[in-house]
Amino acid sequence: MSQPSQHIISRLIILSLSLLFFNSNVMASDEIKTFETSDSTEIDVRIFSAKGDKLLIGFACDQGASKAEEKTSQALAKDGVEVWMPDMLSAYMLPKVRSSLKDIPTNGLIKIIKEAQKTNKKVYLVASGPDTELILRVAQNWEDLHKGKTLGGAILMFPRLNKTKPEPGQPPNYQDVVGKTKLPLMVLEGERTPNRWGIQHLTQSLKQGGSTVYAKLIPDVRGYFFKRNDPNVPEDLVTSQMSGLIKASLFFLGKAHQ
Amino acid sequence: MKVSVTIKKVLFTTLLSIFSLSTLHAAELKKVESELITPALKLETLDGKSLDLKDEMGKVVLVQFWATYCTPCRVEMPSMNKLIKKLEADKVPFKIIAVNMGETKAEVEKFVDVVKPEFTILMDSKGENVQAWNVFAAPSNFIIDTKGKIRYTLYGGVEWDSDEITKVIKDLAKEKS
Repeated sequence: MSQPSQHIISRLIILSLSLLFFNSNVMASDEIKTFETSDSTEIDVRIFSAKGDKLLIGFACDQGASKAEEKTSQALAKDGVEVWMPDMLSAYMLPKVRSSLKDIPTNGLIKIIKEAQKTNKKVYLVASGPDTELILRVAQNWEDLHKGKTLGGAILMFPRLNKTKPEPGQPPNYQDVVGKTKLPLMVLEGERTPNRWGIQHLTQSLKQGGSTVYAKLIPDVRGYFFKRNDPNVPEDLVTSQMSGLIKASLFFLGKAHQ
Repeated sequence: MKVSVTIKKVLFTTLLSIFSLSTLHAAELKKVESELITPALKLETLDGKSLDLKDEMGKVVLVQFWATYCTPCRVEMPSMNKLIKKLEADKVPFKIIAVNMGETKAEVEKFVDVVKPEFTILMDSKGENVQAWNVFAAPSNFIIDTKGKIRYTLYGGVEWDSDEITKVIKDLAKEKS
């Protein structure tokens, strides 16, 4: 083989390897950090780093293991919103069931929030379904510990905050924590779920703690659409654009502080 | 050592998940103890006729709030058809009024073609009656006696043609108007 051909092949190999490493760098843009609480509990947090001034802590409780959450976190990080996903269930050896929520102590999450604040970014929280009770509880405890201060805000996606089974003809009976925080809140609900009819009532109840509460209905989607095995076309579309939805929510929450 | 701890954590979590699988509880009729005022209900049916609940006095009426995307609603509708037939055979004055919660006519018609409910469907396209009746979940059911008073409520899917529910409706129909 001639010298120039060898040179071209070497350059191509180097270029291909560089591209390969560059791509794997983009795909693996997250890292796991472990934080220890005062009671020696180790909490693994999956971090999708970003250079912007906003940091979103997502209480998916399993480090964002679901595909949609991972993709959304990557897209947000690419757009400058840093995402932290603490694995609370493993940290406290709890099963992936609804009843585990009440067993997650808030001190672990407060420790994560304190660590997040060390980045000097504005800290926001996000959770979906019954997990929203947990972030309201954490926000309340955080405000008790830091009088006069609030976090950036929280996004409650399809909040399921009923304490008891719905009773036809009666207003909902919410979890005790509803209406106990001043945290600015954005409530997102699917249009194709009966819970949409409770949005107004829930919003009013959440406001009782002094929160600014925004509520938006997402057209043509059912509750938990991003976790469904049978998504329809609008649900697929909204799932793929979830990061945009979150960014818009953060924009509104930012306005609450102005 | 760290790997061993992680494996233990995973095993523990998996085992707890298996043992914590909750069983489904059947929905039950709830007797209305305190006074629950029956809100007005006057809407258009799916085929464009007007229906006023107060014109149904003298019958036991099941008012159900439902939606096409509500899985229990879809599942229980055949049992509602059976309940109508069962009570018709016994000449019990009974009517089912199923109020759709804010969907379009096209969506409801598509559902009706498949599920084939044999009872009256009302279209609450703006959800005004959903609000007036304090309905926050589907299916939400109200059983109204022959005098127009709400006597039972029920949230969730149920086999409507069960002996227990049939007896409750028959007993209400026997009460003097």
